[in-house]
Formats: sequence, C-alpha cells, structure tokens
Amino acid sequence: MNPVAEVTAGPLSGNSFWIATAVFVVSYAVIVSERVHKTIVALVGASLMLVFGILQQHEAFRLEEFGVDWNVIFLLIAMMVIINIMRPTGIFEYIAIKSAKWGRGKPFRIMVIFSIVTAVLSALLDNVTTVLLISPVTLLIADALEVDPIPYLISCALASNIGGTATLIGDPPNIMIASRAHLTFMDFVYHLAPIVVVIMVFYILAIRLIWGKRLRSRDELRERIMGMDENEAIRDPVMLWKSLFVLAVVLAGFVLHGALHFQPATVALFGASLLLLLSGNKEPHHVFAEVEWPTIFFFIGLFVIVGGVVKVGLIKWMSVRVIEATQGNLFATSMVIMWFSAFASAIVDNIPYVATMNPLIIDMAHQLWPHETGLNLLQHSDLMPLWWSLALGACLGGNGSAIGASANVIVVGMSEKTGRRVSFMKFAMYGLPIMVMTVAIATAYVWIRYYIVG
Amino acid sequence: MRKRTVLPAFLLQCIPKSVRVRRDELIMKAKDLMVPLSDYLSPDNTLEEAVRLLISAKRGESRVGVKGLPVLNDSGKAVGMLTMRDILKAVLPSYMSLMNLGEFAWDGMLEEMARKVADRKISEIMSPEVTTVGENAPLMECVDRMVKGNFKRLPVVDAGGKVVGMLYERDIFLAITKAMHPGRKGRHE
Repeated sequence: MNPVAEVTAGPLSGNSFWIATAVFVVSYAVIVSERVHKTIVALVGASLMLVFGILQQHEAFRLEEFGVDWNVIFLLIAMMVIINIMRPTGIFEYIAIKSAKWGRGKPFRIMVIFSIVTAVLSALLDNVTTVLLISPVTLLIADALEVDPIPYLISCALASNIGGTATLIGDPPNIMIASRAHLTFMDFVYHLAPIVVVIMVFYILAIRLIWGKRLRSRDELRERIMGMDENEAIRDPVMLWKSLFVLAVVLAGFVLHGALHFQPATVALFGASLLLLLSGNKEPHHVFAEVEWPTIFFFIGLFVIVGGVVKVGLIKWMSVRVIEATQGNLFATSMVIMWFSAFASAIVDNIPYVATMNPLIIDMAHQLWPHETGLNLLQHSDLMPLWWSLALGACLGGNGSAIGASANVIVVGMSEKTGRRVSFMKFAMYGLPIMVMTVAIATAYVWIRYYIVG
Repeated sequence: MRKRTVLPAFLLQCIPKSVRVRRDELIMKAKDLMVPLSDYLSPDNTLEEAVRLLISAKRGESRVGVKGLPVLNDSGKAVGMLTMRDILKAVLPSYMSLMNLGEFAWDGMLEEMARKVADRKISEIMSPEVTTVGENAPLMECVDRMVKGNFKRLPVVDAGGKVVGMLYERDIFLAITKAMHPGRKGRHE
C-alpha cells in the first residue's frame, strides 16, 4: 500500500502539506523547549491535525499507518498495571538489599552488582520503573557506607539505558520499532541481547576506571549492610508468589508470541488481567490511577502528529533525501541512522524521534523495493540492520546527556533531593563518553554481523 | 459584623449575671484568643537555629516551647510555617519517603541525618503554603481553616497582612469548653 495518500477532505486540503509540516515542526520545537508539558503539546498537535482535516478521525484512531499504534499503547499500560500490583509486595526492595549483601558491603562491588541488576530489570521492565525502584535503595546503601551517592545514581541510570536496549519490552523505542516492523520478542533476543551483554562488560570496565579507586568505605560500616535482613522487605508473600507466577507466564508468552501469532500487547494484557483477577482486588482504582497516563497520552498524540506528516508526504520526501544522500548504500545508511539516532536521542526525547524514524524507514523500504509488501518489505534482509541500528542508536544515545532519557531525568531529580545537584555538564562528563563507547561497540557489531558475516 | 440584639433594660435585669457575661465572652474574635507575636523565624535561619528557638519560644506568659513557628519576611508577612513535623520530615532521607525502607535503618542513623541537615535553610524545609486568619475573623472561620487544612496553629494577620499573633488549637478548644460549661475556669478568664 502506498502510504502517501491525497488529502481530500477538510477546508485546507490545498495547503495540507505545509499545514501538517508546520504543526509537526512547531510541536516538536515546543516539546524540545520544555516550555509546555510534552503531553499537552502532543495532544494539541494531534487535535490540530484532525481539526485542519489533515487526518480524518477514523484514520487517526483506526489505521496503523496514519494513526495510534494501540499495540504500543496497550503493551505499555498492561506492563504498568503489572508493576503497580507487584510493587507493594516488597520484591524490589528485597532484590536491591540482597544485591548489596552479595556485594559484601564493598562499595565498588555493590556498584557493579547494582548495575547488572538494574540492566537485567530494565530489560524486563521499563527503564523509568527500574530506576525508580532501585535508586532509592542505592541512596540508602551509599549513606550506610558513607560514600558519595552520585556515582551510584549515575551508574544506575546508565546501566538501565543499556539494559533496556536488549529486549522488545526494555525501552519504548524498541516497543515502537517492534510494533511497526512486526518484530518478535525473540528477534530482539537474537539480535540485540548478545551485543548488550558485550556492552555491559565494557561498561563495567569503564566504571571501574572512573569510580573503582574512588569508592572506599570502612569495615564497621560494611556491617550495617550485612546486618540488613532482606526478608523483612517482603510485605505480602502470597501476592508476591502470584505476581512472580504471572510474570513468568508473561515472559513465556513473550518468548512464544511469534510462534503463537500473538501480538506483544495481547500477552501483556492477558498477564495484567490475570494478575488483577488473582490479586482479589475489589477496588482496582488505585492500580489504574498509578498508570502513567501522561506518558500514554504523549504516545497517542505523537502517533497522530506523525501520522499527519506521513499522510501529506513529508516523511516520504525526507526518506528520498536520505536515500539520495547515501546513494542507496544501506551500510552507510545504517551507520548514519545509528550515530544520528544516538546524538539525536541524547538531545531530544527518543520517543518522538523514533515515532518519526519508523515511517521514514518504511518509506525508504517502499522506494528501494517497490514490488515487495507486508513482512517481505518490513523485514527485508537488507532492511533489518537499519532497524537494529535505529534501536541501538536511539536506546544507547539516551546516555549522552542528563535529559537524554527519562531514567536520567529521574536520577538527577533524586540527587537534587539529597542536596547534591548533578549539573548537565557533570552528567555529560560521565554519560557522553559511555554513550560514544557503547555506540562504537554497537557500530562494530552491526558492521561485522550484518555486513561482513552477512 | 454580627448583629447584636439589644434587650430592653428591664428584661436585661431579669437575666442572671453569669449568663450575660457568657454571651459577651462567646462573641470573641481571633484577636481576642490569639497569643501576641513574640517569636518567629526568618527564611534564612538554619534548621539548627530554628530548633533552638522552638524549644525556648514562649507561648503566652506561662508556657515555654512551641511545636510550630511562623516564618516571616522582612515586612512581617508570613511566607511559611515550620513545625516539628517539618523537622522530622527534613531528617527523614528523601529515599525513605520514596520506598518502604524503614526496616533497613541502622542504629545512630537519626543522629547522623540530624547533623547533616543542621545547616539547611528554613526556606527549604518550611511548609511554604501558609493559611492565615484576619484579626477580626470569627472563631468559626478559624476552626474551619484548622479542620480543613489540618493545622494546629494559625498566624493572625492585621489589615495590612502583617502577622500580629498566633492562634492555637488548644485555646479554641478552651473557648469551646467554656461555651459548653460556662462555670469552669479557662485560660482566658
């Protein structure tokens, strides 16, 4: 299907290209400026696309190519519901305290274990949730050991952005890419998880160089950690086992969803509803109230804004320019996408960025292989490295600055509450070199795995 | 202003004296029940200074030590309130209010945290939203503010917005007691 359709309805159809482009550019500019809350901007932009007749409401609400991607929306909501039910059981406090004890109260050892635990949790949950659950405990541990908490907070955010890259559900860009390119959970496990493991090894070597020597504590302070009883954290053991059972079902569902022909949102919604049922919750109001509705509506608004510029042909025009610039060389395109995505995601929110890049890559595919359709087009063997480059660049790029990823914004906010401000420059001092290193490793990986080995 | 009924003199004489006194006492305003302002904090005070003032501050003539003080700017207007609860909150590390980590506190942690926050400024710790009452406000208005905002003390302000005194929950309680049992002795008799 040709994604560029004529705008036939609406009072301003003659100028629709420029109107849609203006709505898109102004919305993104205001989002970047942070003068108005991004969710409000996205919803205003989306409703303008409808009011100006760029998109008809049924297109925005029902069509995959121009409208809201409900697979992404319901996957996000369902995972949030599962976490909201799990959180009060105390499982996350348990894991974090247990990790600190595995670290035997040694400051750098604890930092490494926290980084690994954060990366693994981020791969299975979203990064923001993971950081919100782990960093309060890292602050407690830092106070107990009387060491500077800032390295722990920063390393927690960086590890969460790296870990989130590994799976379909780890980071919103991956959820969006998977949904548009119809990639499965196992596709991400085969193609991204191995390199994320390698990146984590290099990351740990890097934090050893940065902080390894600087973190020192005294023996009597280590006793404070070893004296903590992680079992005290568990508040509701029955609910905990129910939650772990449902989480196992959901993970099994993700592993098998490709083979079973379920969309990821189907799996997550089944898990969320099963856990709601098992929880015996008579008043699920608070579980739903804690869903991050501003994030959900941000996605909804962005999908419609991007749908508008896809429909009027702006994205097609951009994809033609990209192909011209790289002269159809897909290796060069993939490298450009990886590095451009990394720096773009370091500066702006990677969610609107990926929302724009997804249709752009699909448009490029239409032009490169005009006779292919469906999965043959979306998962063309020459196109796959582009998807992986986009995912690696957009996720790892988040580490580049304090505003590059939501997890970073959260740890910076937490550090302020402890009375120690992490400036934009201070974060970049650690985050930017880590970002460049990890993207360089990812570049070598894509080059070797998809262009040399083939 | 409340309209007062004036009874003819011959009828007034029929009413026992204790009842007449009680009626007058009942029609009190915030300014009649407040303790005139003596101690207050400035936003630039440190927490340590605030703690010292809280223990030594006078409330009325007899009581020493208060559980909360108004924070006033240079022109005498209230910019916040600092209560014992605010100080407890300041000592509780931010991460402990984010998650259930109380079980993992260690011996001596409170003392460590108290030393850490001693130099913090009142402006960072006080409750910045302060509810005041006018000096001529009826007592019911004061009760309304206290109950709805969960306050135990309210700064009383004059027409220019300057704080002139503090109105305490306990004194309003005594006024209520007196209204119910006119014979009993209260603080303001």
